[in-house]
Amino acid sequence: MASSSSSSSQGYEIPWVEKFRPTKVADIVGNEDAVSRLQVIAQDGNMPNLILAGPPGTGKTTSILALAHELLGPNYKEAVLELNASDDRGIDVVRNKIKMFAQKKVTLPPGRHKVIILDEADSMTSGAQQALRRTMEIYSNSTRFALACNTSAKIIEPIQSRCALVRFSRLSDQEILGRLMIVVDAEKVPYVPEGLEAIIFTADGDMRQALNNLQATFTGFRFVNQENVFKVCDQPHPLHVKNMVRNVLEGKFDDACSGLKQLYDLGYSPTDIITTLFRIIKNYDMAEFLKLEFMKETGFAHMRICDGVGSYLQLCGLLSKLSLACLTAKAA
Amino acid sequence: MGKRTAIVLSSDDDDDNDNDFDFDFSVKPDLNRFNNPKSKSKSKSASVPRSNPKRSKKTRISSSSSNSRSRSHPGKNVNPFDEMKLFCEDFGEGFSGFKVSAGYRRDNKELWLDKYKPCSLVELAVHKKKVEEVKVWFEERICITKDEYCNHVLLITGQPGVGKSATVHTIASHLGAIIYEWNTPTPTIWQEHIHTTNAGLRYLSKLDEFENFVERIRKYGLIPSSLTEEVRKPFIVLIDDLPVINGKLSYGRLQRCLDLLVQSVRIPTVILMTDYGRSDAADYASKCWEELQTSLQKAGACKVAFNPITGNSIVKTLSRICREEKLKITADQIDVIAKTSGGDIRHAITSLQYFNLKSDLKPISKDATYSGKVSHKIDHLDDGYSLPFGRDETLSLFHALGKFLHNKRDTENLPSCDMDSVFLKEDFTRLPMKMDTPERVLGQAHGQARPIADFLQENVLDFLHEEAMDDAWVVASYLSDADTLLTSLNGVLSRNYEAENIIQSTAASVAVRGVMFGNRHPLSSRWHAIRRPLLWQVEQSLWRNKKEMVGERSIAAYNCVNLSELSTIAIEWRPALKWLGSRVSEYNSPRKGSIGGKMVDNNCNMERSNEPCDDDEDDEIEDW
Amino acid sequence: MLWVDKYRPKTLDKVLVHDDVAQNLKKLVTEQDCPHLLFYGPPGSGKKTLIMALLRQMFGPGAEKVKVENKNWKVDAGSRTIELELTTLSSTHHVELNPSDAGFQDRYIVQEIIKEMAKNRPIDTKGKKGFKVLVLNEVDKLSREAQHSLRRTMEKYSASCRLILCCNSSSKVTEAVRSRCLNMRINAPKEDQIVKVLEFIGKKEGLQLPPGFAARIAEKSGRSLRRAILSFETCRVQQYPFTNNQVISPMDWEEYISEIASDIMKEQSPKRLFQVRGKLYELLVNCIPPEVVLKRLLYELLKKLDSELKHEVCHWAAYYEHRMRLGQKAIFHIEAFVAKFMSIYKGFLIATFG
Repeated sequence: MASSSSSSSQGYEIPWVEKFRPTKVADIVGNEDAVSRLQVIAQDGNMPNLILAGPPGTGKTTSILALAHELLGPNYKEAVLELNASDDRGIDVVRNKIKMFAQKKVTLPPGRHKVIILDEADSMTSGAQQALRRTMEIYSNSTRFALACNTSAKIIEPIQSRCALVRFSRLSDQEILGRLMIVVDAEKVPYVPEGLEAIIFTADGDMRQALNNLQATFTGFRFVNQENVFKVCDQPHPLHVKNMVRNVLEGKFDDACSGLKQLYDLGYSPTDIITTLFRIIKNYDMAEFLKLEFMKETGFAHMRICDGVGSYLQLCGLLSKLSLACLTAKAA
Repeated sequence: MGKRTAIVLSSDDDDDNDNDFDFDFSVKPDLNRFNNPKSKSKSKSASVPRSNPKRSKKTRISSSSSNSRSRSHPGKNVNPFDEMKLFCEDFGEGFSGFKVSAGYRRDNKELWLDKYKPCSLVELAVHKKKVEEVKVWFEERICITKDEYCNHVLLITGQPGVGKSATVHTIASHLGAIIYEWNTPTPTIWQEHIHTTNAGLRYLSKLDEFENFVERIRKYGLIPSSLTEEVRKPFIVLIDDLPVINGKLSYGRLQRCLDLLVQSVRIPTVILMTDYGRSDAADYASKCWEELQTSLQKAGACKVAFNPITGNSIVKTLSRICREEKLKITADQIDVIAKTSGGDIRHAITSLQYFNLKSDLKPISKDATYSGKVSHKIDHLDDGYSLPFGRDETLSLFHALGKFLHNKRDTENLPSCDMDSVFLKEDFTRLPMKMDTPERVLGQAHGQARPIADFLQENVLDFLHEEAMDDAWVVASYLSDADTLLTSLNGVLSRNYEAENIIQSTAASVAVRGVMFGNRHPLSSRWHAIRRPLLWQVEQSLWRNKKEMVGERSIAAYNCVNLSELSTIAIEWRPALKWLGSRVSEYNSPRKGSIGGKMVDNNCNMERSNEPCDDDEDDEIEDW
Repeated sequence: MLWVDKYRPKTLDKVLVHDDVAQNLKKLVTEQDCPHLLFYGPPGSGKKTLIMALLRQMFGPGAEKVKVENKNWKVDAGSRTIELELTTLSSTHHVELNPSDAGFQDRYIVQEIIKEMAKNRPIDTKGKKGFKVLVLNEVDKLSREAQHSLRRTMEKYSASCRLILCCNSSSKVTEAVRSRCLNMRINAPKEDQIVKVLEFIGKKEGLQLPPGFAARIAEKSGRSLRRAILSFETCRVQQYPFTNNQVISPMDWEEYISEIASDIMKEQSPKRLFQVRGKLYELLVNCIPPEVVLKRLLYELLKKLDSELKHEVCHWAAYYEHRMRLGQKAIFHIEAFVAKFMSIYKGFLIATFG
């Protein structure tokens, strides 16, 4: 299960992301397919070279670290080399450091190999990746590689060819909720269900974000409800935006605009408003044509905002285009 | 143990030996190669001189730079050391309970890649014709006197994981030749560099070292050590890893160096180059490789292009491995794994090993809960294949695309019980989709917006009804919207992950939903191959033509006095010169291939893509 | 040698079309000095010719001895060095190049080359420090950053280097750059001017021109003198002596586009759209700019349409041309336009004929 569950509120408090990070592969939430296979590797050894790809906060680094711990146990310090994007990872370092580590002789139980973990591998230059491929091949008897990245497209093909590619997808709401409940029980956080829902909404499939938001809300307000969550996470309240969308759909353009004005006056940046709007539209149950048109117009508005025109007028323009789409489509 | 004559090759395998090797047999170097009975015949004996790292160090210092690891390869010293090796081995086995270096044990704890490395020609999964070609090339060079042939360089190109080096090693062992490999030497770390510059030695870049190596090879060849009296085995030089090049100058140097090699080397040499043929718009580096290949061919090298391995061969190999490992994997699953590998057998074997970890987990993960309010009966065509592994453009993407393009709908509209429901005009209503929300399918398929839009654009017209022109317009307009949205990815704010995320999701959603919405009268489902976008080849050809035109402009073919714009060249000069071709003999001849001719004339690249189909006489034509 | 080059006027006096502009230029250029100049006008109107004649006026016949070379530049851009390669045409007194060939790194080129010229200032006959002329083509395709850097360097180095800029449309050149130059608008020659030139060439070549022949060529050329002379030469190659009704053949890509247009008019269906797409790929592969394709396609379609549909078709063509500029892959948008046209036209046919 999760590690230490002492809820110390005085002194230095470890971020809950770290405190409740699973140390065993079995405890990892989500992506059962991948995780169950990693479990088997943890028991049997003989890990193939792996690339774990997926959106942030889905458990890639955690999985690799847990796997390395389980595989190597007490030998972890000597038998694992970790390099992430903040380390120097140019070609020379790759060749030298990694090579020297790969050559190092470490006493390990049979069936276990040294592990080199390369986190955020997609930010390695292609020269460094090229240098890596040869090393991977030669030292495959004694050393295995695990790369974590956001998009596998940035990893060059020869390396993709030498590894098994494991994809992690965004966590579902239930999975995040499950873990949140565990943390809430352990830390004795007072909450209401809507508060947890709000946290899940802001997280958007990212466990790390969810835990951080939970901790921030608790530390700031000592009580997790919707209001506090949105105060802390500082996104436009989804219900508010949902009302806006509903008004547009029902044809009440003025109400929608006043809702928008409220949001704008609260100080939210147009990008935030658009992001929330897009998320709401994605999950809103409306007719197919309307959803398509809404998404399209939101995308264009986002484009204009990125170009630099992030004004209230642009957002109103967006709302009006949405209303126009509704009008064209509505039966008389 | 004899003196070593300096020079020739360096091999990184030598670095396997630790510096603390001593002769008391308690440390086992990487004996795996010798232990594994299957690989005994492999001639990776470039890794041989393990027992003499100290001496090698001496020779190292005597060579030009303290960094270059040029050591000789006393290939002939194999045998006496072999005996010693075997001795070590036996000794080591007795010690197996004690100090065992990681990976020494050969009980199933190695990668299947290594375990099932092909060691005979029969085991190669590469197409027989290609193997024959390479084998014949070698035989001609090795077994017959060399003077008859002017070229001794063979260039093997192909995707990663397609069997290039495996073929060379297997053929070499079959013919009894010894392979000497060039491996990029270890680079200098900063402290070393300071030290050596202080010592007055010049810094050698990897390109420099490669050039030195080439110089030595072509001038002096390989000097065998004369220790043993065995019959001289023929040598083959293998260059697997060309140095990384940045920019035009180093590219020029590399090209000249390789040209020299091709023209003047006397030993059969094989150069392996990896193709990056599957990318969208190939980037500058890969275009460089193509140019390099053509220039090598012009200089006289023979080229053999290895195609992606066919599905059947992969299935055969995987089945063999399954039998030997006694796995319980069904033929269907093997099929799926073979397909997801994309012609890359190395990846297929790794995926098999990975998949096998939990083979009772079906690869099918049906989504039992749809986000809609009503539950549908799952259509039997709706497999919900969500493969959490495999490279891009694999089965899951194609399945997702298939769903979008086929656009299955329910036969009737279910009553909506939502108070919010808005009644739309008939034109704008659609029957509910018979699948999960497009966004979820996209998420499972792990696809990026740009390739999805391109694939949809290429294929959607096949799925529209013949008379449905309006549908075509709707679909095309949404695809055009998606393209516009995707352009903003190139802007300044694309460094922001949030913004990029939204743009990607929006564009993908618009493209997919637009295609589904627009296709009002989908054709009844029949089997359609989903093609790769022709657009990608067009873009590559376009890039090439533009380069050519820029080149032509500099020959002042068009205008002696001032430079013309590229568009003017295309629009006015070239067509005019076609008509006036006979009169302008002093200019270069205008490009062959006229507009209106077949596409094949202009896009030589297209033929390359058709190759995999043409070559498979034994196997079916695959649609990747 | 092509007639376009053979009969290109070499000096400002011999300029046939735009002789008023030529005379103005002559007056402007005294003592081997001239301000920065910006020539703009439709393609084929004679901008380059005037520039070369101007250079010759300033520097004498030496300006005509040009050398083509591919120069490599190593530019230090902060943390890294960029290597660029460009084709330049140079003589002892001037350098000509297309900075937009370098793509989005064009501003480095502009800065580097001007700095280089500033370093090597020639000494003129009077012992004063002379200057070189830098001719930049296609300045309307320069990125915004390049134009900004241009304006700074223009001012700083104006003692050692004169700029002559050449572009098709001045609206894409920033205000700042335009205000630092003398703008010379070169209009497209009128048809009778073209006819005069053609007759002049005909006389020099000793050809007999039937009446109205030159006028027909001039009409088809779309007021581009280069096009007219090229067509003229093509006709000569095809058939001489000229007949009255000789067909003046258009460029092959133009013919191809009119084929596409008739394909579109004949059948409107997704299948036909797919075939049209294939043909469009042909054109695009041959580096015909997509805007030109769209414009010409529209022109061909309009020729065959009745007046009722014309305005709608034009509207959508303009809309998709804008989209093409915003977007990445031109084919998406051209195809959307063709689909829209087919849809409009089909609707029209059904409405009219039932």
